[in-house]
Amino acid sequence: MAGFKTKRVDSSDELDLVPIMNLVSILIPFLLMAAQFVHLAVIDSTLPAIGEPKEVEEKDEDDKPPLVLTIAVTDKGFFVSGADAVLNPDGGDDEDAGDDEGEERPPTVPCKGNAVCANPDAYDYEELTRKLGLVKDEYPDDENVILLPESRVQYEVLVRLMDACREDRINKNPDGTYRDLFPFVVIAGGAK
Amino acid sequence: MAGVKTPQRVTKEEALNITSMMDLMTIILVFLLKSYSTQDISIAGDSDLQLPSSTSTKDPELAVNLVVSGRQIVVDGVPVLQLTKVPDEENPGKELVAVPEDEKKGQLIPTLFDRLTEKAESAKAIAEASGSSEHEFKGRILLQCDKKLPFSVIREVMYTAGQAQFGEFKFVVYKQE
Repeated sequence: MAGFKTKRVDSSDELDLVPIMNLVSILIPFLLMAAQFVHLAVIDSTLPAIGEPKEVEEKDEDDKPPLVLTIAVTDKGFFVSGADAVLNPDGGDDEDAGDDEGEERPPTVPCKGNAVCANPDAYDYEELTRKLGLVKDEYPDDENVILLPESRVQYEVLVRLMDACREDRINKNPDGTYRDLFPFVVIAGGAK
Repeated sequence: MAGVKTPQRVTKEEALNITSMMDLMTIILVFLLKSYSTQDISIAGDSDLQLPSSTSTKDPELAVNLVVSGRQIVVDGVPVLQLTKVPDEENPGKELVAVPEDEKKGQLIPTLFDRLTEKAESAKAIAEASGSSEHEFKGRILLQCDKKLPFSVIREVMYTAGQAQFGEFKFVVYKQE
C-alpha cells in the first residue's frame, strides 16, 4: 500500500460539534411546536335517555329494588337520593320526610362548616366519596349516577363532583388502583 | 497611560468553544422530547376560558369542538354567540354569565342549534361518502367550558347540542398530575 500516507491526528484537536449543533438547532423549533405543557383529559357524559319505558323483568322477592342514585347540588351541599336504605337506615326516607311539611330535608353531605357553599372548595367531596363507597358496597354492579345541579352551581363544582363519583381515592384496591364507584354520569336538567 | 499594554493581536484563527452550548442544547432537546405530544385537540387561548382540573385520565379524541368561555360561544374556531352578564338575584352586587334572553327560545339557543345541525349534517355526509364505520357519526362533542360558568349556561348549551343530535358529551379538563 505504498503511496498512502497516514497523518497522525494531533490529540489536542477537539471533536467538530458544529454539524450536531446545526441538527439540534433545527430539531428544537420543531419539538417546541409539538410540545404540550398542559395535559388534557375528557370526562364522558350523556344526556338522559328519552324513550318508552322498558318492561321491568319479574324478579324474585329477595331482589333489592333497583338503585336510581341521584345527587342534587345546591349551595347548601349535596343531596343524595335513591340510596336511603344505605345512607338513612334509621328512617328519613321520603314517607317520613312528608310528615315534616314545610321543613326542608338537610343535605346528605353539607358544606364544610355547615355554612352556605360560597366557592367550589367549600363542598365536602371526600365525605361524598365515602358515602358513595357505602352505597357501592351494597350495590357493587351499579355504575350509573344522575346529577341534578342547581342553576347557579359553578361548572368547576360539577367536574369535581364527577371526580368524586367516579373513583374512590381514599380506599385503594389491594393492587394499588382506585376503586371504581359510579363512573357513568348523566347530567339532568336540575331545578331552578 | 504608561504601563498599559495594548492587547496583542491574535493572528491564529481560533474556533469558538461550543461544548457548553452543546450541553445546554442537549438538555433542552431531552426536555422537549419528553413533552412531545400528538394529541388531537388543542385548547383555545382565551383569557376568559379557564378549564377545571380533574382526576380523569381518559384521552381526548377528535370531535366537534364547542368552546364556552366567559364571553362567547365558539364552534370549531368560529364565534357563534356573545354571552352577557346579568345581576345575580341572590348575591346583590355580583353578576352571572348568561345567554341573552333574545337569543334563546326556552332552553334552546337557535343560533347555536343551526351551526351544530350544519356540523352534524356535514359529518353524516362524510360518513356516508366514506362508507367506513370509522367515520360514522356518533354525536360526539367536545365541550371546553370556563370553570366559573354557572350551570344554567351549560344546561342550555347541552340541551341545544342534544337537540342537534349531539348526545355524547366529552368535557375537556386539565389532567391532574
